[in-house]
Amino acid sequence: MRILIVMTLLVLAGCATQTAAITAGGSQVELRQMQTREYDTLDKRGTLRSVVATLQDLGFVIDKADYELATISATKLQNYEIRMTVIVRQRDGDRLSVRANARFNEKPIEDPKSYQDFFSALDKAMFLTLHKVD
Amino acid sequence: MTLRITHHDSDRVPRFVLLAPVILLIGACATIPDDAFRLSESALETRQLQTREYEGVTEIEILSASSAVLQDLGYALDEVEKELGVLSASKRADAKNAAETAGKIAMDVADCLLTIFLGCESDSFQSSKDVQDIKLTLVVLPDLDNSNAHTVRVTIQRVIWARNGELYDQETVNDADVYQAFFDKLSKSVFLEKESG
Repeated sequence: MRILIVMTLLVLAGCATQTAAITAGGSQVELRQMQTREYDTLDKRGTLRSVVATLQDLGFVIDKADYELATISATKLQNYEIRMTVIVRQRDGDRLSVRANARFNEKPIEDPKSYQDFFSALDKAMFLTLHKVD
Repeated sequence: MTLRITHHDSDRVPRFVLLAPVILLIGACATIPDDAFRLSESALETRQLQTREYEGVTEIEILSASSAVLQDLGYALDEVEKELGVLSASKRADAKNAAETAGKIAMDVADCLLTIFLGCESDSFQSSKDVQDIKLTLVVLPDLDNSNAHTVRVTIQRVIWARNGELYDQETVNDADVYQAFFDKLSKSVFLEKESG
């Protein structure tokens, strides 16, 4: 019985930290940072096309794409489900910021590694696009 | 005989109760697989089988030829964004596969015989495939090296449902034949589009 209580507490503790992190101070800035990357370009179309190509490379299917609002939503189905939304915005007049957020099954992804992997794949696609522009 | 079974059952219950939090822990806090956002080793190969190049046609011509093919195949268009060359479509189709279903039914029957005392008539054959929801994205990209050419990349996913309404499987389709068949139809459609335009 004691083991049972300990295990239940472990379960609650393990999951509680994840939800608490959303409202905890400072994490909002951190979350934005890990989800955002800036590129030295104003080529919105090229950037969005790179995002779409990267998502396809990673095995996503595009659910929604809007050029005017610069948003892309996509889903990946494996033994799990990942839903991802990418929004492109202009920054400081000479740069574009790309922000991605994703959820894994029903939980938001707050692990920096996933976003690092996504952006390193996007970097490669963006490199080609930017060099085309030059 | 009956006594022995009861004894066995009472032994099993506390063990299951002990396991429940562990199962919960694994289920509720499942971690993201390492390769979820990484290009797999077969990414290039997959890209090739999902991609074809078309020369001498405009992006709009390819998009209209594609929507015509999708209509031929009974898909409904969910999303079209011509500025980005993106087109998404879906359909629900039969997922029954005679051989697989037969195997599954045989297993269900075997299951049924094993659990005959618990009663299983409502469960038999229910775990076989029934319908699938197919979702397809087609993206037209201008070729970076050749301004007169476009590449078309198609990605397909499907969710398969069992007859009892439960999720049977969800996957990205990687079968080369499926993409080949699609592009054969698309090539014909692009040709017709060019002729009529």
